[in-house]
Amino acid sequence: MTAREVVDLIRKNVGVPWNEQTYRDTFKTGNPDSTVKGIATTMMTTFDMIRRAHEAGLNLIVTHEDTFWNDRDDTRDLTGNTLYKLKTKYCLDNGMIVWRFHDHLHARKPDMTIAASLRSVGVEGGEDATMRSDHVYTIPPTTLGAFASQVKKLTGSRAFRVVGDPNVRISRILLGPGYAFPRMTMDADVVIGGEAQETDGVFDDTEYVMDAATLGIAKGQIILGHVVSEEPGMEDCAKWLRTFITGVPIQFVPAGEPFWT
Amino acid sequence: MNHPTDFSRRQFALIAGTVAAARIPAPGAAGPTAQDLVKRIQGILGGDWPDSGPDGFKAGNPETAVRGVATTAMATMEVLKLASKDGLNLVITHEPTFFGRQDGPAAALNAGGHGPAGVSASDPVYTAKKEFIDKNGLVVFRLRDHWQARKENDLTTGLAESLGWTRYRVSGDDAIYDIPASTLEETVAWIREKLKLRGGLRAVGDRRSRVRRVMLHPGLMAVNTMLDRFSGTDLIVAGEVREWECVHYAADINTSGERRSLVTIGRVVSEDPGMRSCANWLKPLAREVPVRWITVGDPYWRAV
Repeated sequence: MTAREVVDLIRKNVGVPWNEQTYRDTFKTGNPDSTVKGIATTMMTTFDMIRRAHEAGLNLIVTHEDTFWNDRDDTRDLTGNTLYKLKTKYCLDNGMIVWRFHDHLHARKPDMTIAASLRSVGVEGGEDATMRSDHVYTIPPTTLGAFASQVKKLTGSRAFRVVGDPNVRISRILLGPGYAFPRMTMDADVVIGGEAQETDGVFDDTEYVMDAATLGIAKGQIILGHVVSEEPGMEDCAKWLRTFITGVPIQFVPAGEPFWT
Repeated sequence: MNHPTDFSRRQFALIAGTVAAARIPAPGAAGPTAQDLVKRIQGILGGDWPDSGPDGFKAGNPETAVRGVATTAMATMEVLKLASKDGLNLVITHEPTFFGRQDGPAAALNAGGHGPAGVSASDPVYTAKKEFIDKNGLVVFRLRDHWQARKENDLTTGLAESLGWTRYRVSGDDAIYDIPASTLEETVAWIREKLKLRGGLRAVGDRRSRVRRVMLHPGLMAVNTMLDRFSGTDLIVAGEVREWECVHYAADINTSGERRSLVTIGRVVSEDPGMRSCANWLKPLAREVPVRWITVGDPYWRAV
């Protein structure tokens, strides 16, 4: 089976119409007509992740995020960049192929990145979660501090950040994947996402939650980090691929939380 | 902290010249209005001040007589309370007051009460904040584009000053500092202590790597800046970045064997010292009233 044939199978099974105009869900490097020995799913094609996939004998990487440090994987300004040359040479020398699976993964019903992220922080009932549903999940009442401790324990994240008064009682959760950070509403106590611009955006949750804390209004923001937020979804993606791709090993290879504190 | 060295000679000459032109009264004279003070600021900084830009009055009555001026990176509720308590009724903020670039309620709201931009006019946090400003006679003015457009970038030199690195500045470049060599781990501990960081600091890189040449980049850093400049530094200290861009690049460069590091401290924390510089810069322009910087502090904490 070639990489192109694997992608054709994904397109047949994804369950939503394929957008031929997508700039994201395309091959990024390697020859699509090479034979696939094994498939690695991952959240981000870091150089380190590519090496580990190769060492595991997996030459097709299905990645959720970019390979060349910008959303469009635009490499026109990178041709003179040493790191770009090293990374592409490594892929070429080792027959690695990278294909991005982003827009159509989020378009699926359910969106496995949201469903898995909810599960990863201990929120139940998100099995059918979809993008931009604004669905508020209710957890047994607890404090923001206790909930944050639970998130730490369950995700194992070292660097996630919390805003708000740790002592306020919370139970209504709004969660978005990656950069699709949900905007606080009157119906939610806590917003959870991967990453967001801190201020001067369309809606600044951080300042809103800081002010709510000063005013004694119970609100919280949990910023997981982009990788921590969407990595569980790519682990689920490996399981999903196994339901219709047979004959080659399929493994989830984590990019891993990049930060220490 | 009031360092006369915060003024370049160029600025001093400009201020001195404009002071005469604008007839800034001596201390003790009747207070200017917020509009008067803003006109002085605009006169010195120059440029266009279109209504569509981020800079401008965001709350309160510009005709209010100013009793004191507070500068801050972000006019949070906490900052406004401190300003009001100390009689500083004109607040000059670098970032928005009302939770986004729109800096006020959205024109059109969807069924959920939240429009495509801005905050709902009936939102309880928005209404309480607005009410506090009005009740206490505060005036909020945003100063962003024109402050960071200055030739001497006080956002950067202010951050260096907070880090105790002013004297290590590499000549000709206000962003580059050759600090006494230490490990990344030690440098991170220093940054955390100096900026009083709680949970907002995050680091990418080898803890044992040697750090000497540091680039400071307050605010949001785009990936092109990193592509251009990372290879000339041991460490970049940025306000915020996007994880799939700069963080990914910093991780990859370490995988390739180059020991270079990235530390993000949060956008507001990174811009806070530059607004202290702004307070010092404003003092000769607002001699009739006290001018003070109010720090926002690190918004983030970490779970235990």
